[in-house]
Amino acid sequence: MNNLLKLIRRFTGILLLSVVLLLFVNFAVLAFLIVWQSPSSSDSPYNVAIQTGKGFQASENGYILQEDISTSLKEKNVWAFVIDNDTLQVVWKTENVPNTIPLSYSLSDIADLSVGYLNGYPTYTGKTENGIVVLGYPKDSYWKHTRASWNYSLIARLPQIIFIVLAVNIAVILLIYVTANVKFLKPVKPITKGIQDLSIGEPVYIPEKGLLSDISSNINRTSDILQEQRQQLKKKETARANWIAGVSHDIRTPLSMIMGYASQLVDDVNLSDAEQQKASVIVQQSERIRNLINDLNLASKLEYNMQPIHTRQINLISVVRQIVVDFINLDIKGDYPIEWLTADNLNVCMLNADKDLIKRAVSNLIQNSINHNEKGCTIYVLIKIDDCCHIVISDNGIGATDEEVEKLNNSPHYMVCDESTSEQRHGLGLLIVKQIAAAHNGKVTISHSEYGGFEVVICLPI
Amino acid sequence: MNDDYLLNKRILLVDDEQELLDMVVSILKEAGFCQIATAKTVKDAIDLADEFQPELAILDVMLPDGDGFSLMEKRKGGYPVLFLTACGEDDDKFKGFGLGADDYVVKPFLPKELLFRIMAILRRSYKEENPLVKLHDSEIDFSRAEVIKNGEHIPLTAKEHDLLSALYRNAGRIVTIDALCEAAWGDNPFGYENSLMAHIRRIREKIELNPSQPVSLVTIKGLGYKLIVWGR
Repeated sequence: MNNLLKLIRRFTGILLLSVVLLLFVNFAVLAFLIVWQSPSSSDSPYNVAIQTGKGFQASENGYILQEDISTSLKEKNVWAFVIDNDTLQVVWKTENVPNTIPLSYSLSDIADLSVGYLNGYPTYTGKTENGIVVLGYPKDSYWKHTRASWNYSLIARLPQIIFIVLAVNIAVILLIYVTANVKFLKPVKPITKGIQDLSIGEPVYIPEKGLLSDISSNINRTSDILQEQRQQLKKKETARANWIAGVSHDIRTPLSMIMGYASQLVDDVNLSDAEQQKASVIVQQSERIRNLINDLNLASKLEYNMQPIHTRQINLISVVRQIVVDFINLDIKGDYPIEWLTADNLNVCMLNADKDLIKRAVSNLIQNSINHNEKGCTIYVLIKIDDCCHIVISDNGIGATDEEVEKLNNSPHYMVCDESTSEQRHGLGLLIVKQIAAAHNGKVTISHSEYGGFEVVICLPI
Repeated sequence: MNDDYLLNKRILLVDDEQELLDMVVSILKEAGFCQIATAKTVKDAIDLADEFQPELAILDVMLPDGDGFSLMEKRKGGYPVLFLTACGEDDDKFKGFGLGADDYVVKPFLPKELLFRIMAILRRSYKEENPLVKLHDSEIDFSRAEVIKNGEHIPLTAKEHDLLSALYRNAGRIVTIDALCEAAWGDNPFGYENSLMAHIRRIREKIELNPSQPVSLVTIKGLGYKLIVWGR
């Protein structure tokens, strides 16, 4: 809808601009024509008549016209005569005065010819001694404005009137344009709305009638196809996640039994050490399967957005501190000491996040350090805040090669990889950390630790 | 601290799989529990509970004729409940805790983990009368809120009592600064870190012979504190 308004606004702007431009150009052209077609002031017949009047010399033999003026008149094919003030008779004339021109004039004739025409010839008068000189220009050479007279007020307000008329014209044009456009754009509105809905994946139905029915029906068809594909995809994803959830659920009870009885065998004094050792391997490996099931389930749910994210305000420092303490409390042998490097005065860092998922991510990273360093290592936990909130988990263990770090940072995990792969990839722990960070609009960076081992930084926006 | 009296508690176990029932019973018996009853359906469990009067129930969520949640709601007597289930979804856990479950263990589980949790619930629910907590240099009597050091009875303030209780519940383990602040100052425990340090100092003056070199209430830098209890 916004686009439509923008479109109308844009068109109206263009229209307005073109109207103004057109008017301006028209005025300019008209002004140019008028200036160009108007005789220059020295050529103006009025001036020529006045100059001619001054060019006469009265002598006893009558009037004599200066030679240069006479020649120039002849060149222009202009005839001339002089009417005497007293007799109102023609007392001098050029040779080319047509025969139809009378030789005596009444005062009213003179009044007429001074403003208008004489037998169709545009005439102009000039004053001379004891008379007036009349110049006759060839027929149709000039147009004279003979009977113009308006109220003075009209002429006085002419600029305003022109402005108002122009404004009204523009308004009328706009009105016509907008009405026409709105009528035309009315069927466009549902189409633009439909395309917008398509882009956000909403189902679309546009009535298929009117000028643009073809487009409407195509959009409807596209929508149907998209909806169907979306449903298929959703069905597949749900089926896959359900499958993983179902399998992991069904494995839990039998695995409980394996773990339970194997644990009892580990403590059974009737068994030999070697047999107890075997039982403890069964327990350990069952625990691995249990962790794998849990990870697989969570990873698949996060991947297909089926894990509900319950965000609320949490104090990240307190959450991470609790995890660290839980690990220390569990680490009875003390093989994996954890150093808390967060600044002493940093006790509160409020974030909008899912507490359980954040706990899971941080626990996964600490557990990773433990799993990959069987001989023990020191784990360093640091939270610092700048433009975002960094949780840094590092260790002084065996670490990883540059190549491995590069791969962990950039290659997709097999769970989310769209190519078949037989390559051994990293476990699900890091994938889950990445997924959890992504669910909080954060990111994960893996690198070498300054303490010689592995380092992972979770960066969460504040 | 002696938890032996807890082994006499009556435990009701409900699960639809006989093999699992057998295994859990064997785990419990090996740990020393002697009064255990089992049921495979909601109906059996209700009938059995009337007669057996359990002091703890371990319930599966999915049962042939109903679910553990409704069974828990129908129980009489308000004994504690621990769910032991293959339903590991967060929503299931929330539902269980929302109904007042005391703990929630997802299968598969390690027998030791289950036992620890059972003991923790029983300890919380059936406290031994008037226990004296023995520390290196003194004893704490929580019921009277006082410390006995060199035969002298030193009273504890309410906050000191709260903090010591929180530390004692996790005796031998680190309790975070945040958890202690929450124990003493409630739900919005921000900005009390300095007050906490002051209180800890005062507690040490009461329980330690040499408060500047504490042996019972030790600091874990940046993280929290740990109460070391005699014999634990």
